Amino acid sequence: MILTLVKKISEIQYWILIVVLAMTGIGMVSLYSISVHQEITFISNSFLKQLFFLIPALVSLFLVLFIPRHVIHKYSYVLYFMAVVGIMLPYFGNTVAGTHRWLDIGPFGFQPSEYAKWIMVIALARYLSDRTLEMGHLSSLIIPCIIMIIPAVIVLKQPDLGTALIMMTPLLPMLYWVGARPYHLFLLTAPIFSVLTAFHMISFTAWTIIMLVIIYMGKPRLVMGVVTYFGNIFLGLLAPVIWNHLETYQRNRILTLFNPELDPLGAAYQIIQSQTAIGSGGFWGKGWGQGTQTHLKFLPVQESDFVLSVLGEEFGFIMIAILLIGFAWLVLKMVRLAYTSKDRFSGLVLIGIASIFMSHIFVNTAMTVGLIPVKGLPLPFVSYGGSFLLSCYIMIGLVLNFGINTPD
Amino acid sequence: MLKAENLVPHRRLVVVYGVVIFLTVILLGRFFLLQIYRYEKYKLKAEVNRIRAVTINAPRGLIVDRYGDRLVDNYPTFVITAIPGEIGSKEQLFKKVSSCTGIDSMDLAANYHKYYRGRFIPARLAKDLSFAQISILEEHKLDLAGLQYEQFPERIYPSPIRGSHFLGYVKEVDRNIRDRLGEKTHYELGDLIGWQGLEKVYEDQLRGHKGISYLEVDALGRIVGRVNGEKEIPPTPGRDLMVTIDATLQGLLEDELRNYRGVALVSEPRTGEILAYVSAPDYPPDLFTGATSVEEWNKILTDSDRPLLDRISSGLYPPGSTFKIVTLLALLENRLVDPDWTVECTGGYILGDREFRCWKEGGHGTVNLREALIQSCNVYYYQVVQKLSFDQWADLCSEFGFGKPVGIDLPSERAGLIPTPDYMNSRYGRWGWSRGYMLNLAIGQGDIVVTPLQMANFINIIATAGKAKRLHFSKSMTVDYVKTPVLRATTWRKVNDLLEGVVYDQHGTGKAADPRIKGVVIAGKTGTAENPHGEPHAWFVGYGKKGDSLTSVVILIENGGHGGAVAAPIARKIFAYLYGPGKQLAAQVTQ
Repeated sequence: MILTLVKKISEIQYWILIVVLAMTGIGMVSLYSISVHQEITFISNSFLKQLFFLIPALVSLFLVLFIPRHVIHKYSYVLYFMAVVGIMLPYFGNTVAGTHRWLDIGPFGFQPSEYAKWIMVIALARYLSDRTLEMGHLSSLIIPCIIMIIPAVIVLKQPDLGTALIMMTPLLPMLYWVGARPYHLFLLTAPIFSVLTAFHMISFTAWTIIMLVIIYMGKPRLVMGVVTYFGNIFLGLLAPVIWNHLETYQRNRILTLFNPELDPLGAAYQIIQSQTAIGSGGFWGKGWGQGTQTHLKFLPVQESDFVLSVLGEEFGFIMIAILLIGFAWLVLKMVRLAYTSKDRFSGLVLIGIASIFMSHIFVNTAMTVGLIPVKGLPLPFVSYGGSFLLSCYIMIGLVLNFGINTPD
Repeated sequence: MLKAENLVPHRRLVVVYGVVIFLTVILLGRFFLLQIYRYEKYKLKAEVNRIRAVTINAPRGLIVDRYGDRLVDNYPTFVITAIPGEIGSKEQLFKKVSSCTGIDSMDLAANYHKYYRGRFIPARLAKDLSFAQISILEEHKLDLAGLQYEQFPERIYPSPIRGSHFLGYVKEVDRNIRDRLGEKTHYELGDLIGWQGLEKVYEDQLRGHKGISYLEVDALGRIVGRVNGEKEIPPTPGRDLMVTIDATLQGLLEDELRNYRGVALVSEPRTGEILAYVSAPDYPPDLFTGATSVEEWNKILTDSDRPLLDRISSGLYPPGSTFKIVTLLALLENRLVDPDWTVECTGGYILGDREFRCWKEGGHGTVNLREALIQSCNVYYYQVVQKLSFDQWADLCSEFGFGKPVGIDLPSERAGLIPTPDYMNSRYGRWGWSRGYMLNLAIGQGDIVVTPLQMANFINIIATAGKAKRLHFSKSMTVDYVKTPVLRATTWRKVNDLLEGVVYDQHGTGKAADPRIKGVVIAGKTGTAENPHGEPHAWFVGYGKKGDSLTSVVILIENGGHGGAVAAPIARKIFAYLYGPGKQLAAQVTQ
């Protein structure tokens, strides 16, 4: 027993663990900078908290690491069921700030949708690896879609479209990995693009041309191709009409779905502040604790969602580059492990988790520099927050476990 | 188990690699653009010009009485704040401010620590500054880098009435309060929040929404100009609250009760509107705005008369003889007693081994139903209450709203207590009490306690024969009917008849409540409630009507003695005001 554990530990990709710990360390440094300059009562409050959260996070990582892979495989649907029940639970609890997202269990403020993300990946991996699926058929995509959509729809009602979309992101990479035709993946996503581009004339025109090219290259039967093409165009033309017929409050409800934390001061203001902070950091940064812009505190969640602004201002482009390259290395390493993995289940779990990390990294970073609208999403390992840190470390535990390239 | 083989073509690996690298390059490119290509621009922006969001405080809504007279108003004061990251030496700044304004620099330092939230967030140093003090500060502006001032509307009470128990007060949000309000609150340290009374209940209406204006300031914190392109948000003042109070009547009754501990509550049964709400002793309404001296504070806090207690909604009293009305209603409704049946009152009544006393030493002689109520004969009620079951009596009390809150628009209200057989069993044990206990309850004594508010609700139900509306303060709220027992029309009529007798009969205990104004009819019931704290409490509950107008009163004087002698005369003054020339005069003045 102990021998197998030791053997397992000797085989893990310890570089992944080292990089992750380093990133957590960088996060702590910025937290310390934020908290130490708050003089008086607050001294290193969030810094100490984060340090405290790291203990259960590491314990969970090793627990997950030592669970035999076949056990995870066996119970993946049970886990999935529990996760679905879990994300429905907050509907029965008290609302926090008008939304049903948090369960109050212990000091963590347990957020079930955080854990549902990777459980969904495991369940989908199980489904896709079990069957000798004919991935070439469009119909084979139906059940995988359902597996991912059920939890996403529940979360959507909480209300948080962003989290729902993030939860859905592993679907496409995993389907692609297991051999679905790219054309079919295009069919799945096309309606979303048709609706979104419909509000901008040039984008929509460009989209119709791109669509035409893709459909032509996909070589469907003529009737199907025509139906797909005009169906999407029709949908796109319909969207603004429906939108215009909605009452103002209905529109606002949809808009807040996209962005529940819409700041009353205006999101543009946050972005300007964030960009000024980052831009004024320059190549080397202003130095630890010297960031005047971040200490202006105009960014409401600088220790979680806008942590990159603090790092960018105080430690400059060099730190950002180290971080982003580190993240890229981490994700590429996971993809590599997925490629060399002996069995399909492990490969799919790794791909799924890699896409969860990539989506978080991209959305958070792009938001900080004003590439996409403000969406409250933390940066893995670096941002402050116990529940999210725990979930990230569990995912790393899974990566290390599934990354071991010997049979279970 | 995990036997599905992992056969992934190399092409897929390359595609996924490509996507990850592509996304990373986009992000890195963006950072390169911001931090290296446009570094000079952002550096300048950060160092020379800082955008500062300045909040503009919104005044709270006013509270006005039913005729529009201002009960609660705002007056402008100034607060000064300091931005920790922009001041040089704290000690020097405080010394300078102190010499300009005369405020003790120790106080400034204490406030600075109390309101400190971060290096670049203004921390409040002092409030309630006058325009003159601000002018002096403005002259020395160059020595006071990092110091700011803003207008701050403070509560003021222009009306001669106090009304502190229903108006309530506002409090400054401190760290404790802020933590309790939760994460997403819009309250900041130093903001005002309704903490008691109507200020609390109507907080959402009264509170305004702060505005924001964006200022560009230089490195020394001096304002360079407004920021173009940023949307300013003007402050939205709170909405005014019109209350049902008649300030003249309220003031009259506050004077009337100055030397008592007690309450006077005047309301309109048909609308539920409260015209006067006096709980004595009270406290000055600006007690909590900070203008009060420590000595005055301590005096009020340690006062054995408990001026902070709202006796109307939270004072619990035995109702005494006023509760004979409940017993009477039960008897009439169930036809349990013949109006002509008589009882011989000799001043006492013996049941088992106990003697129950009537309040009149020599007894009332022979009394029937009418005489027993009018003269408030206990012996009669000792006998007739035995025709009722305990449950029957307790159920009727509860249907009239006793033993639970009335539901007035104030933050707190007590429920009182109506004993039931279950209650008696758990309190005194299965065999620890006897049926004779009901004899006490019939005359409103024993464990029973009610709030004056419940009594007002009760008399309103009787005055309207079951069509009373819920008691309330806000003039603009929609009011529902009070839940009442369904009784026969003859029962309502008979009870109201008898209550008029209490005031108009030559032996009536409530004669002193009659203002002797033509066309005005008064009805009511007195009570003299024995209690362990000395002299009995004096009650008068009743109503007066003239034409379409109907007004009820509840008077309670703690340890005042006989209800007929102490409470009823105060009721008379209310009716004299409402139906005499005084009211018209007051109405004309306001117009």
